[in-house]
Amino acid sequence: MVMPSAFLIIAVGLGGAFLLGFLRNEWRATAFAVTVLSLASIILISSMWVWGFAYGEAKPVDFLTAGIAAPFAINLRVGLPEATLVLLVGLTGLFSAIYLKASFERMGKRAMAVLLIDIMALCGIILTRDIFNMFVFFELVVISTGGLILLSEDQRALAAGFKYLIVSQFISLMFLLGTIFIYHSYGTLNIDGMTQTTAALAKGASLGFFLLFIALVTELKPFPANGWALDIYEAAHPAFSAIFSAAVGTAALFAVNKTLQIGGDAWLPVATGIGIVTFVVSNILALQQTNDRRLLGYSSIAQVGLVLVVIGQRDILGDKFMFVAGGILLAHTVAKAGLYWLSGMVSGRELQAWTVLRKNPIMLFAFITFIAMLSGLPPFPGFYAKWELAHALFASGRYGLIAFILFGALVEAGYLFRWFGFIIKREMSEERVVFLVRKVMVVFVTALGGWWLSYIWGGLSSYKNILYNIPFAFALAFMLLEWLPAKVKNTIAIIAMCAYFYISYPSYDPLQLIFGMIILLGGAIVLLASYNWTGRRQGFYTSAMLMYAGLSMLIVSENSFSFFVAWELLTVGSYFLMLRGKNSEPHALSYIVFSLGGAFAILSGFALAAQGIQPFALTGLGQVAQTYAPWVFILLAIGFMTKTAAIGLHIWLPGAHAEAEADVSPMVSGILLKAGLFGLFVLLMNMGKTQLYGIELTHILLWMGALSAFLGNLMAIFQEDAKRLLAYSSIGQMGYALFGLAMMNHLGWLMALLFVINHYIYKSMLFLSVGGIAKRTGTRNMFKMGGLIALMPLSFIAVLVGIIAMSGVPPLSGFGGRWIFYNAIMTVDYRLPIVLIFLSGPIAFLYLFRLIHTIFLGQLKDEHRKLKEVPFWLILPQMLFVIFLLGFAVLPGLALRRVDGYISKFFADGALNWDSSVITSNYGYWNPVAIMIIISVIFVILLAWLVFLNRKAQKVKQFNIVYAAERPYRPETTHYAWNFFASYRKAMGFLVQPIVTNFWNAITGTLHSGADVVRRIYTGNGQTYAYHFLAFVVVVFMLSMGV
Amino acid sequence: MAHIAMFTGFALILMGLYGALTNRNIMRMIVFFTIVNTGINLVLVAVGYLPGRTAPILDDVVPASEAAAKIIDPVPQALVLTAIVIGLGITALMLAYAYKLFELKRTLDISKFRELKW
Amino acid sequence: MTFEWIQIPYSLMTLLIVIIYAFFMTALIAKIGARAGRRYGIRIHQNFLDLFKNYSLRSSITHGYMFYLAPVFRLTGGIGLLLFVPTIYGSQMFSNLSFAGDLILALYFIFFGTLGMALGAAESGHPYAAIGISRGLSQVTMAELPFALSVFAIAVQYQTLSVTDIVAAQQGGFMNWTVFTNPLAVTAAMMSFLGTMMRSPFDLHLAPQEIPIGPPTEYHSSYLALMQTNRNLFPVAKVVIYMNLFFGGATNWPVFFLKVFLIYLFSAFVGVVFPRFRVEQSIRWFMVWAVPVGIAAILLV
Repeated sequence: MVMPSAFLIIAVGLGGAFLLGFLRNEWRATAFAVTVLSLASIILISSMWVWGFAYGEAKPVDFLTAGIAAPFAINLRVGLPEATLVLLVGLTGLFSAIYLKASFERMGKRAMAVLLIDIMALCGIILTRDIFNMFVFFELVVISTGGLILLSEDQRALAAGFKYLIVSQFISLMFLLGTIFIYHSYGTLNIDGMTQTTAALAKGASLGFFLLFIALVTELKPFPANGWALDIYEAAHPAFSAIFSAAVGTAALFAVNKTLQIGGDAWLPVATGIGIVTFVVSNILALQQTNDRRLLGYSSIAQVGLVLVVIGQRDILGDKFMFVAGGILLAHTVAKAGLYWLSGMVSGRELQAWTVLRKNPIMLFAFITFIAMLSGLPPFPGFYAKWELAHALFASGRYGLIAFILFGALVEAGYLFRWFGFIIKREMSEERVVFLVRKVMVVFVTALGGWWLSYIWGGLSSYKNILYNIPFAFALAFMLLEWLPAKVKNTIAIIAMCAYFYISYPSYDPLQLIFGMIILLGGAIVLLASYNWTGRRQGFYTSAMLMYAGLSMLIVSENSFSFFVAWELLTVGSYFLMLRGKNSEPHALSYIVFSLGGAFAILSGFALAAQGIQPFALTGLGQVAQTYAPWVFILLAIGFMTKTAAIGLHIWLPGAHAEAEADVSPMVSGILLKAGLFGLFVLLMNMGKTQLYGIELTHILLWMGALSAFLGNLMAIFQEDAKRLLAYSSIGQMGYALFGLAMMNHLGWLMALLFVINHYIYKSMLFLSVGGIAKRTGTRNMFKMGGLIALMPLSFIAVLVGIIAMSGVPPLSGFGGRWIFYNAIMTVDYRLPIVLIFLSGPIAFLYLFRLIHTIFLGQLKDEHRKLKEVPFWLILPQMLFVIFLLGFAVLPGLALRRVDGYISKFFADGALNWDSSVITSNYGYWNPVAIMIIISVIFVILLAWLVFLNRKAQKVKQFNIVYAAERPYRPETTHYAWNFFASYRKAMGFLVQPIVTNFWNAITGTLHSGADVVRRIYTGNGQTYAYHFLAFVVVVFMLSMGV
Repeated sequence: MAHIAMFTGFALILMGLYGALTNRNIMRMIVFFTIVNTGINLVLVAVGYLPGRTAPILDDVVPASEAAAKIIDPVPQALVLTAIVIGLGITALMLAYAYKLFELKRTLDISKFRELKW
Repeated sequence: MTFEWIQIPYSLMTLLIVIIYAFFMTALIAKIGARAGRRYGIRIHQNFLDLFKNYSLRSSITHGYMFYLAPVFRLTGGIGLLLFVPTIYGSQMFSNLSFAGDLILALYFIFFGTLGMALGAAESGHPYAAIGISRGLSQVTMAELPFALSVFAIAVQYQTLSVTDIVAAQQGGFMNWTVFTNPLAVTAAMMSFLGTMMRSPFDLHLAPQEIPIGPPTEYHSSYLALMQTNRNLFPVAKVVIYMNLFFGGATNWPVFFLKVFLIYLFSAFVGVVFPRFRVEQSIRWFMVWAVPVGIAAILLV
C-alpha cells in the first residue's frame, strides 16, 4: 500500500483554512462541509498510516522538505506513535467541529478556519523533527487558541485568553532562547541531528536545553504555572476545552518526549519530578472544586502530569514505554474529551447539575465509561498501563514514586466517584433538557471508542484480553438486556449462574468449590429474592453480574494479573450495587475509596513480589526473596483486609451494607466479603508465616482479627438500626474468620472456612428478613418496631434460627464453628488475642438478642397492626437457608470433609476424623447427630408436657401484664427497646468512641482544607500567573542544576 | 560587536520582563512584551554572528564553493525573520484582546479581570 | 463411647437423683442464707411444696408461642447440660449422654436456656422482663470471660477437651486436683462462678426490689413450675462442671453431694456478705479482678 505523504496533513489543514477564506460569508453549510472534509482527510491519512503500521508492512518514514536531507531542511516523521497521535488529534478536532456546528454556523467561516489551523498546527508539532519548526507550530497553536477561546459565550473567557497570551509570551521567550543556544552548540536544529552529536554537551547546550525543556513543559500546565490553563478550562467552550485537554496536551507531551532525546536520560528525573508534583497536587486541589469544568481542568492537568512521569520512566520501561504512556494518554484523551463534550450538554455548572444525565441512559453509560477510564479500571487501557508501570517501578526500586502515583490516583478516583454519586443520587432538577442527537452521537461514539481501545490494549498486552473472560463478557452483555423486565433478567441471571457453576465445578479444587458454591449457587439463591422487584430495575443486573463475574474469576485466577483484574471488577460491580440504596451515596463512596486504596495495596504487593517477572503465578508468592517477603505480605494483607473490613479499615462497611437495597445487602455482605477472605487464604497458603524485624506478621493478623471480632461486635450492640447492627456484626464475623486463618494451623483454617459458609447463610438470611421487615414497616429503627412475631411468623423463624446459629449455641451449625475454634486454639503458639475472641462471643449474644427482641417481641405498635408477612420472594430464600442451616448442623461433614482433607496439604497435623457420625480431633469429640436428637427429644417432651398442662390457657391481650397494678396503654412507652444496652454503654462505651472514623475524617478533612488553602494561589490575576511561571522556572532550574 | 548586541538583547529582555510584570495596565504590558521580543531577536542575531564574515548571499564575491568559510550562518537570521512575523501576529492578537477587554469592563487594569480563580 | 439404649433409663435416673438433691440443697442454702441474716428461713422441703402449688394453680394465660417456649428452652438447657457431662467418674451408669460431645458442648449449651428464657420473657411484652434480660446479658459477657479463659488454660494443661479425661487426670489424691495444680485458672473460674449464680452481688438482672424478679415476671402456674425446676437443677448442673474440671470430680454419690454443696455454698457465702452491684460496677469488677487472673492463667500454663 502506498502511504500518503505527511505533508498532506499539513497541506489539507492549511488548504482547508485558505479555501474557507475564499467562500462567501453566507455559505455557512458549505464552509462547515469544507471544515469537516479537511478534518476527515487528516483522519483518513493518519488512519491509513496507523493501519499500515498495525497490520501492514509500513516502516517509519522521514519526509523531507525541498528534497534536501536534514539538517539543511525540515523533515517530518511518521511512525506509529506519530500516526496514532495525529489520528487522535484529528478525531478530537472532527468531533469538536461536529459538536460546534451550531456555534460555527453562527460565527461563520473564520472560526472554522481557526479550528483547522489549530488542528493542523498540533499535527505539525507531532510530526516535525525540527525544533524551530516546532516553535512555529506552537505559536500557531497559541494564536488559534486565542481565537478559539472566544467561541465561548462566557465573557470571562476573554480574560482567560489574555492570561494565556501573557504566559505564552514567556514560553516563546524561553523557547527561542533555548533554540538559539542549542543551535549554537550543536549547529543544527534537527532533533535527530542533535542526538547523533556525540560530543559532550557544552554548558551553553545544557542551558539551552533547559530553556527549551521548560518552555515545552509549561505547555503541559505544570503546577504551579498553570493558573491560566485552569481559567481556560473553566471559561472556554467545552468543545474547545476538549481539544485543549485532549489534543493540545497530547501534542505537547509528544513534543516533550521528542526533545528529551536531546537532553538525554539525565533529564528524566526532572520530568518525573515535575510530573509527579503536578499529578498529586492537581488531584488534591480538584477535591475542592464545585465547578465541573474547572474540576475536569484539574484532572486534565493531573493526567498530563502522570504521562510526564511515565516519560520520565522511559529508562526503565524499555519497550513497554509506548504501551504504558499510550495507555494512560489515550485513556485520558478519550475520557477527558468525552467529559468536556458531555459538560456542554449540561446547563448548570455545579457538579450536581449533571444529574440530568440520568434522563439519558446513553449519556450515563458514557459518563461511567469515562470515569472508569480515568480511574484506570479494567478493561480500559489505563488499567494495563497502571499495572505495567507499577511493576516496572517496583522492579527498579522507585517506591516513593509509585506511592505518590497511587496516592494521586486514589484521590482522583475519589472525586470522580463522588461526582458519579452526585449524578446518580442527587435530586434531579425539573428543568427540561434537550439532548441534541448530534452531540449525543459524538459522546457515544467517543465512549465506544474507549471500549474499542480497551479491546486493542487487551490484545497488545502480554496477558489474556480481559474482555475475553466469559463471565465479564456476559456481565457486559447484560447492558444490552436492560430493556427487559426485571423478572426476565432475574431468570436469565439465575440460570446463567447455575449453568456457569455446572460447567466449571469439575475443575475446582475443594477450596474453590466452597467459594464457588457460595458465589454462584449462593448468589443465585439470593437472587430469588429479587423476583420481588418489578419494573426494569435498570443497572441492577449489570452491576450484580459484574460483581459475580469478578468473584467467579477471582477464585480461579492463577496469576497475579488475573487475580487483580477480578478484584477490580468485583469492586466496581459491588460499588454500583451499593450505590443503588436510597441514602447510600456517601457510604458507597467511602466503599469505593477504601476498596481502590486496598486494590492499590494489592497491586503494590504483587508488583513488589514479581520484581518485574511477568506473568507472576500466585504460587510464586512462596518464593519471594526474603528482603521483600514481609512487605509483600503486609501490602497484600492490608489490601485484603479492606475488603473484610478489618478494624481500622472498616468504616465503609456499616453504611454501605445498611443502606443497600434489601436484596443487595445479602449479596454484598454474605457473598462479597468472602473475596477478602479468599485473598487471605491465597496469601497465607503461599507465603505462610512471615517475619518483619523479628515480628511474626501472622500474630499481627491474629490481633487484627481479634480486635475486629471484639470491636465489631461491641459496636453492633449499640446500633438502633437493624441493618447497621447486622453490618457491624459482619465486621465481627470476618474478624473471627481472619483470626482463624491467622492461627496458621489446620483447624484454624477449617474454622475460617466454616465461617465462610455459615456467615454466608445466616447473614444473607438475616439481611433478607430485616430488609423485608424494613420494607413492610418503613423503618429500619428497631425501637419503632416490636411485637411483629404474630404478624410475620416466617420471618421470625428465619431470624430465630439465624441467631441461634450465629451465637454458636448447639444444636445448630454455629456450634460446629465454636467447637473447631476451641480445638484450633489448643495448638496456637500465641495466646493473648484469644482473650478478645472469648469476650466477643457473649457480646454477639447481646446484639442478637436485641435484634430479635426489639423487632419481634415486646409490644406491637399501633401503626403496625395491619402489616402482613414479608413478600413471598423474600421469604423463599430465607426458608431455604433455614433448611440448609438445619441440614448443615446435622451433617457438617458433607461440606467440610473434603476441605479438611484439602487443608492437610498445608497442615498435615490436626486433621479431624470423620469416620463415624462422631467427629473427633486430637483433643475432643463432637457428635452433631446425637446432639440434635437428644436436644430435640428433651425439647419435644417438655413442650408436649407444658402444652398439655396449659391446654386451656387463655390468650391475653397485649397490655394485660402485671405492671405496678397499672395497665399501660401505649406500646411506645412499654416497649423497652431504645438504647437497650444503656447500662452496657456505661461500662464499655469508652471502647466505641469513633476513633477510627475520626482518624479517616481527619485525613480527608486535611486534604480538603489543604486544597482549599493551596488553590488560593490561583488569584485570577494574569500577572500573578506570570510570577508563578517565573518561580516555577527558577525552582526547576535550581533543582536540576545537578543535571 | 556581537557581545554588545548580545548584552543589549538581554538587557532589553530583562527590561521588558520587568515592565510586563510590574505594570498592571494591559497596554503597557503588551508594549513591554514587544520590547522583550526585540531583545530576543537581537540575541538570536548576536548568537549567529561570526566576526569578519559577510552576509549569507551567494553572489560574485562569495562563490558557492567558499561559502561555508566566508558567510555568516544564515539560519539564525532566518529564525529571526520568522520570529518577527510570529511576534507580530501574537502582538496583534493581544491588542485585539485588549480592545475586547476594555469593551467589556471599561478598564485596562489586569487585576480587575479576576472572576476566574481558585 | 457409643450410644446404647440402656443409657436412657440411666440418664433419667441421674436426672431424678440430681433434681431431688437440688431441691433439698437449694432450700438448705436458702436457709443458711436466712440464718446469716438472723431469719429462720424456709422449710427444707419448701421447694417441693412450691412445685406442687405451681402445678395445681388453675389460672393459666399465655402471651403467645414464645411464651410457651421459654420454660421449655430453659429446662431443656438445664437437663441437657446435666446430661452432656458425666456425673460420677468411672461409672458407666452415670456417664449420662456425654458421648454426644465434650466440654465445649457443655459450655455452649449453657446459653441455650438463657437464650430461650430471654425470648420467652420478651414475648410477654413486659418492660421489666426486657430490662432484666438487658442487664443479665450485659453482665454475663464479662462474667463468662474468666471462666472461658480458665477452661482454655486447663484444656491446654490436660491436653484434652473431654470432661472424662480431665477428671481422670485429677485422680489419685486431692493434690492432683486442678485447684492445686493450676490455682490461677481455678481462682479465675471461681470469680466467674459468682457472676453466674444469680446471687448477690451479681443479681441485678433479677433485682426483686426494682424489677420484680426480672425476666420471669409474667410467668405463673405450670410455666413457673418448669422454670422453678430448672432454677434448682441448672446451678447444680453448672456446679457439676466446676466440680469435674477443678475439684477432681466425684467417684460416688456422697462425694458428689458434698462437693456440689460446698461449691454452691461458696456463692451463697459471698452473696450474704456483699450488696448488689450495678451492671457497670460488676463488669468493672470482673474486668479488674477476674480477667487478669484468667489471662495470667492462659499465659502461664
